[in-house]
Amino acid sequence: MSVARVGVVQFPGVNCEAESVRALGRAGLEAEIFRWTRRAAELRDFQAYVLPGGFSYQDRVRAGALAAKDPLVDVLAGEAERGKPVLGICNGAQVLVEAGLVPDSGRVELALARNRMPDRDGYYARWIYVRIEPSGSLFTRGLTPGDVLPLPVAHGEGRFTSATAGRMASLLATGQIPLRYCSAHGEVESGFPVNPNGAEQAAAAVSNARGNVLALMPHPERAQDLGALARCVAGPWDERRAQAIARRDVDARGPGLALFDALSRHLKES
Amino acid sequence: MPRGSKTIQAWVELMSDDPEAVSALAVARARLPAARDLGQLRRLRLIEVSGPLPGRRQLEELLHRSIQFYNPHKERCTLRMGVADPVPLGGSERVALVFERGGERRAAAERWWRHETGEEVEVREGVAWALRLENGAALEDLALVRGRHHGLLCNPHSQELRLAVGEVPCPWMGAVSEPKRAARKRPKSPKGDA
Repeated sequence: MSVARVGVVQFPGVNCEAESVRALGRAGLEAEIFRWTRRAAELRDFQAYVLPGGFSYQDRVRAGALAAKDPLVDVLAGEAERGKPVLGICNGAQVLVEAGLVPDSGRVELALARNRMPDRDGYYARWIYVRIEPSGSLFTRGLTPGDVLPLPVAHGEGRFTSATAGRMASLLATGQIPLRYCSAHGEVESGFPVNPNGAEQAAAAVSNARGNVLALMPHPERAQDLGALARCVAGPWDERRAQAIARRDVDARGPGLALFDALSRHLKES
Repeated sequence: MPRGSKTIQAWVELMSDDPEAVSALAVARARLPAARDLGQLRRLRLIEVSGPLPGRRQLEELLHRSIQFYNPHKERCTLRMGVADPVPLGGSERVALVFERGGERRAAAERWWRHETGEEVEVREGVAWALRLENGAALEDLALVRGRHHGLLCNPHSQELRLAVGEVPCPWMGAVSEPKRAARKRPKSPKGDA
């Protein structure tokens, strides 16, 4: 059986492509960086796509706004419509939201707005926890609702919000918020610093209704090595980190790989 | 507006071509049907300062002195004391103001102003896009994001869009709230204030 190919789409200013390729490879997938200079139609040769983090087009106009208009995104939208998986991480999530690929295809229904934090402003980077929620997202397939993953966030505009009253609540009700910010013990909280940006419904990710497109603000590719977990991380993952360091196995599989493994499972079974 | 309080506008523009405006123009023309007749696009930062303010000369000096407002080596600043003052726009240009809903205040600039003058002011900032549209193209269609091929400058789910029809308002971003005096304690009344 051939290995599924994943296109890691790089717009100018994207800077997390190498670690995304490595994480996909560790999940048993063949990943290839697809730069913006290639013909858009060539994207159709891949079975899935990752839009990595960074600062596409220097965040000009608004984070993700210009990349969302790129012809590559038209092809991605078409392939997503056919059911192919698309994962946008951080800046990639901003592109998907600005392009209207989440929460549904076409119309822009959400924004990833500037972080809202007490007594501070702008870019914010730290380790947080997310809780797996019941959902139809293929990127959390095989994970148990209630499981807690420590992941890093690093962004200035990560607050999921909508001007339509109740829209975020309805997304939660329909299982389109597969990851929410929580404490180390799995309690969802709306306040800072558990919710690092003020996202409505403590949403760390929003999926489309079909479950094959996910806009995810934390960086799972930066949590693929147990040794990379910060010392502040608590709970069972801290114990695993300590054990990995004790046996000098800092590259042991970290919590972020869970999402890439889920993608791999889906591609192997479909 | 409280007595003694007023609002001024600082229109700040790069002396060189603004890369954001260059990119926005190129992408809009190439990708948005509403932008086919977009002749020109400029980007200015619009800063509004509200509160007990000094005269024009002192205001210009204050704005010039801090990077919180602009960098005089790279940017030019046009001070507008009220609606009667001109805006730095061409006759055929229309302007769309975009700012973050609930996030337009600039706390660091307000702290700097308090440190320098002892006065409490409110500082707001947004982006003013100056557009030259031909053939009656609709400004709102181009500005307001609705989908991949509709709108670019303002995502209405987190940002406010204000379009100037004719005269550009001053203030334009928000109502002026009661300014507080900094570093000046009110004397206690004989009965003691709560």
